[in-house]
Amino acid sequence: SCGHIRISVPIVRLGDPVMASCTVSPNCSKLDREPRILWRLEDGPNQPGDKQWRLPDGTQESTITLPHMNHTKAFLFCLVPWANSFQVLDQAEIRAGYPPASPSNLSCLMYLTTNSLVCQWEPGPETHLPTNFTLKSFRSRADCQYQEDSIPDCVPGDRQNTCSIHRKHLLLYQNMVIWVQAENVLGTSESPKLCLDPMDVVKLEPPELQALDINPDLVPRQPGCLWLSWKPWEPGGFMEQECELRYQPQLRGANWTLVSHLPSSKDQFKLCGLHQAPVYTLQIRCIRSPLPGLWSSWSPGLQLRPSL
Amino acid sequence: TLPLPRSFLLKSLEQARKIQARSSVLLEQLCAVYKLCHPEELVLLGHSLGIPQAPLSHCSSQALQLTECLSQLHRGLFLYQGCLQALAGISPELAPTVDMLQLDVANFATTIWQQMETLGVVAAGQPTQSTMPAFTSAFQRRAGGVLATSRLQSFLETAHHALNHLT
Repeated sequence: SCGHIRISVPIVRLGDPVMASCTVSPNCSKLDREPRILWRLEDGPNQPGDKQWRLPDGTQESTITLPHMNHTKAFLFCLVPWANSFQVLDQAEIRAGYPPASPSNLSCLMYLTTNSLVCQWEPGPETHLPTNFTLKSFRSRADCQYQEDSIPDCVPGDRQNTCSIHRKHLLLYQNMVIWVQAENVLGTSESPKLCLDPMDVVKLEPPELQALDINPDLVPRQPGCLWLSWKPWEPGGFMEQECELRYQPQLRGANWTLVSHLPSSKDQFKLCGLHQAPVYTLQIRCIRSPLPGLWSSWSPGLQLRPSL
Repeated sequence: TLPLPRSFLLKSLEQARKIQARSSVLLEQLCAVYKLCHPEELVLLGHSLGIPQAPLSHCSSQALQLTECLSQLHRGLFLYQGCLQALAGISPELAPTVDMLQLDVANFATTIWQQMETLGVVAAGQPTQSTMPAFTSAFQRRAGGVLATSRLQSFLETAHHALNHLT
C-alpha cells in the first residue's frame, strides 16, 4: 500500500503526548513525486506534520507529535492531497486511559450451601482501557506472615467484580491471604491483602422463627405474653451460635426492643410485657459464637398477637 | 498436660460436628438410593474389604494421653480420608457429598497436624496413605461407603467427646 503509519506507543496515558510517523512509498503511482503528507485526528482538521523529509530510497516520511491525547480512543489518519481533495493512505487507532487504581473494599463470604468462598471488591475509577482483575490467594497460617500452598487464580467473569473460590481450593479452619490484582497495558495495582479463615466469614442465615400455640389447659394464659420457637438454619447447624431477638409493637414510630444472648435453637420461649399494641413484629438473627463470625441478616418479620 | 488453645478446641469441635452432619447426609443418601441402611449387616464384608476401624484408645477420658490422642486422631482422619478417596466414582448423585466429606476430613486432619507441629510433638513427617480398600464391584463400593462412613461417625463421636472433655 502507498502509506503506512507507525505509532510510538499505541496506548498512552490520557493527556500524554503521542508520536507518529507516516511513510509514503515513491512507487505509489498517481501521486505527486513528493506529496505533502497531512494528518487528521478523528474528524478534526487536516494538518501538516511537524517535519517531512525524503529518505534515500525516495520514500517520503512525515512525523507528528500530538501533545495531549485527550480522546480515550481515536483514529489517526495519514492523507495526501489528490485532485481537489485528499486521499487517506492509512489509519491507526490510538487509545488512552489510566493505569488501574488499587481495587478497594475487598470482602469475602463463605457460602455453606455452595461450599464456595465468594469475594467482591470495588474496581476503582474507570481506566478507559481493557483492565483485567484477578483474585489471588494463598494458604497461610496463624498470622498470615508467610505463604504455604498457593491457590489457583480466580478470574471473574467479564466486567464482574466478584469471584468464587471453589471448596477444593479451600483449607477450612486455616488462614489464607486474599487480594485482588488489577492490570492493564499501563500498569498493575493490588488491593490491600485480607488474612482470613473462610469459616470465620460464613454467610449465616437466620433461624426460622415460629409461633407456638400453647394449650391453655397446660399453661395458664398470661396477658401480654406469647410463645415462640426457633431452629438454627440447617446448613449451619454444626456451628455453635448465639442469637438475638427483637420485637416492636405495630405502632407508628415504635422502637425495637432487643433480647440478646439467646441460644440458636429453642423449643419454647416465652416473651411477656407486650401490652403496647395488639400486634407485634418479631425478628431473630444469629452469629457464630464463641468462634468468630458474621451476624446473619434478621429473619423475616413475624407478626403475632400477644395473649389478651 | 500440653496447653491446647481454646480456639483450636472450638474449631476442632466444630469441624467434627460439620463432618458428622455431612456423614449423616451421605448415609441417608446411601440408604435412600441403594437401600443399604444397616451398617451392622455389613461387618463381614467389612472384614474382607479391609475397612479400618481407627483406634482412639488414647483419647478416652479415663486414660487421656494428649499427644498420642492427637496422633491417633490425625492418623484416623487420614485413614478415613483414604477410604473416602476409594469411594470416588461411587455414583453421580453421591459424588458431590463424598467429595465435600473428603475435603472436610482432610481439612480437619490438617488442623490437627498443624496443632501438633505447633506443640512440637510431630515425630516424623505426615503419614503416608496405607493400603486402601480396593472395591471390585459397585456393590462393594457402596457397602464400603456405608461402613467407612458409619465408622467415621463413631470415630468422630469419640473424638468429639474427648475434645469436649478438654475444652
